[in-house]
Amino acid sequence: MSEDESSLYLPDFCTSRAALANVLIVELTALVLTLAHENLGVGFWTDLSRTSLFLLWIGLAGAALLCWMRKPLSRLEVARGSAAVLILITALVAGISAAAYYLGRTTLVEDAGAAILFPPALGLFLVRNVAIGFVVTGIALRYFYVTHQWRRNIEMQATARVHALQARIRPHFLFNSMNTIASLTRSNPALAEEAVQDLADLFRANLSEKRDTITFEQEYEVARTYQRIEELRLGSRLRVDWKVDSLPRKALVPGLMLQPLLENAIYHGIEPQPDGGTVTVTGEMSGNLITVVVRNPVGNYESEREGNRLALANIRERLGLLYGERGLVKSGRFDNEYIVTLRFPHVEKLNES
Amino acid sequence: MRARVLIVDDEAPARERLRSLLAELDQVDVIGEAVTGEEAVQRAAELAPDVVLLDVRMPGIDGIEAAKHMNVLEQPPAVIFTTAFDEYAMKAFDAQAVGYLLKPIRKEKLAAALTHAGRLSRPQLQKIADPAQARSHIAVRHREGLRLIPLGEVQFFFAEQKYTTVRHLKGEDLIEDSLRSLEDEFGTAFVRIHRNALVSVRYLEGIERNVDGQYFVRLRGCEAPLQVSRRMASELRERFRI
Repeated sequence: MSEDESSLYLPDFCTSRAALANVLIVELTALVLTLAHENLGVGFWTDLSRTSLFLLWIGLAGAALLCWMRKPLSRLEVARGSAAVLILITALVAGISAAAYYLGRTTLVEDAGAAILFPPALGLFLVRNVAIGFVVTGIALRYFYVTHQWRRNIEMQATARVHALQARIRPHFLFNSMNTIASLTRSNPALAEEAVQDLADLFRANLSEKRDTITFEQEYEVARTYQRIEELRLGSRLRVDWKVDSLPRKALVPGLMLQPLLENAIYHGIEPQPDGGTVTVTGEMSGNLITVVVRNPVGNYESEREGNRLALANIRERLGLLYGERGLVKSGRFDNEYIVTLRFPHVEKLNES
Repeated sequence: MRARVLIVDDEAPARERLRSLLAELDQVDVIGEAVTGEEAVQRAAELAPDVVLLDVRMPGIDGIEAAKHMNVLEQPPAVIFTTAFDEYAMKAFDAQAVGYLLKPIRKEKLAAALTHAGRLSRPQLQKIADPAQARSHIAVRHREGLRLIPLGEVQFFFAEQKYTTVRHLKGEDLIEDSLRSLEDEFGTAFVRIHRNALVSVRYLEGIERNVDGQYFVRLRGCEAPLQVSRRMASELRERFRI
């Protein structure tokens, strides 16, 4: 995460994947350069091996240099960092070109066969390589910059979408609650007052910014608040059976996951039934894993209510972001029940004041 | 003349609120309440209200289906739908100029809706219904009122001259729908076996041929086999592998 906020947009050259990609790109470049040669065909293979040997030196040394310089480079702002990389790589190209020339001069000059592997004169060779190195590094930097921006954009969009979804309470629920409160205001003002307070709490929880993880206790409280409002409306038709005693109250859970699941269960499982039904919420911990299961009956009147499937997708997304592969969401219909299962690792809230 | 109003909503606070709003209006009498779509249809048949305030979203028979059933009554009531939020229905109501009220309902709007309330026409009702959602019941008119037969209990529909008969687990009744419209509405659960018969796939048991080469189907719970037209016989055997 911290990497995204820094100005460095270069991929991490220290990884083995990057090294492999580097070698591949070098070989392809060598092929292109060789193919572009004027008298193609005469010494094609010699040309190719000479060019790739030379380019491999530059490619691998460049990657090593960038890997080694990653920390200091990441402290620079984008423009300065790019200029630094450009200078570094161009200097490296110049250095390796000169080294290749002098290596040819001093050690292998007697061997006529090997002589063709080395540049005959330094001047042109050096200038040409430095120019090529400069241009290619510039293009590569531009490419890395654009892809980095693009990926960052996508990530930001995804986060924005997650936030938008989180902030979404079903309008159906909102207006029905308002109607219930309007009715209670006449018949039972005290209860109406309570309902308004509950609704306010629920919206506060929904609008809260800080909710990657909260304690199970807080999460449970939000879901209970929601349940109280729905009970006013649905009366005895709604029954919720909480079996969560074995979950530690201080366990950290993803925020706002129980309430949307309960909302879905009531919307799809209870409201369509003339006699209502029971939603069962089970919370268990085994080993280091927390499992939360929400089940609701599915009856004959299972109309095709186009509901908030988004809620489930949103929870899946968030569990994935928080716990990676260790977070799991399963849902499906089994006989006359619809069951949603969440599983994620248990983290105890540290005692903080 | 005072308007006689029936309140229909599955939620108690919603009914209570309507009742107290209506109590403040002149020229209105609340003559009853209903909690489900089924009950609404029964009570409309018994009480013959002038206006029904009908919640769109209800468990079981929803408001729109209930309105369809009420429309076959001798004196169909005027219907005003009420809804908290139902995008699909609201769009359809607007398009068909069908009166509806948004919850929480304002007293002035309620009063205005009551003075303008009118009967819904059959085409209007067809158009506001979700095309993907067929009725779950068939309404049968009786001397004492209206009875709703769950579609799952219907074995077949049979047409004779101007009448359509529905044969179900508890007997036989005359209905006003044509075979054609029934077939359009319940196309997947029912199959046409003859110009004059539409049978429930659920009760289909087998197909047989007599010595004259005439095909018949046997239906679970029906003694007499039903004749299958020549044209439909092969199609039927193909479809059900019987």
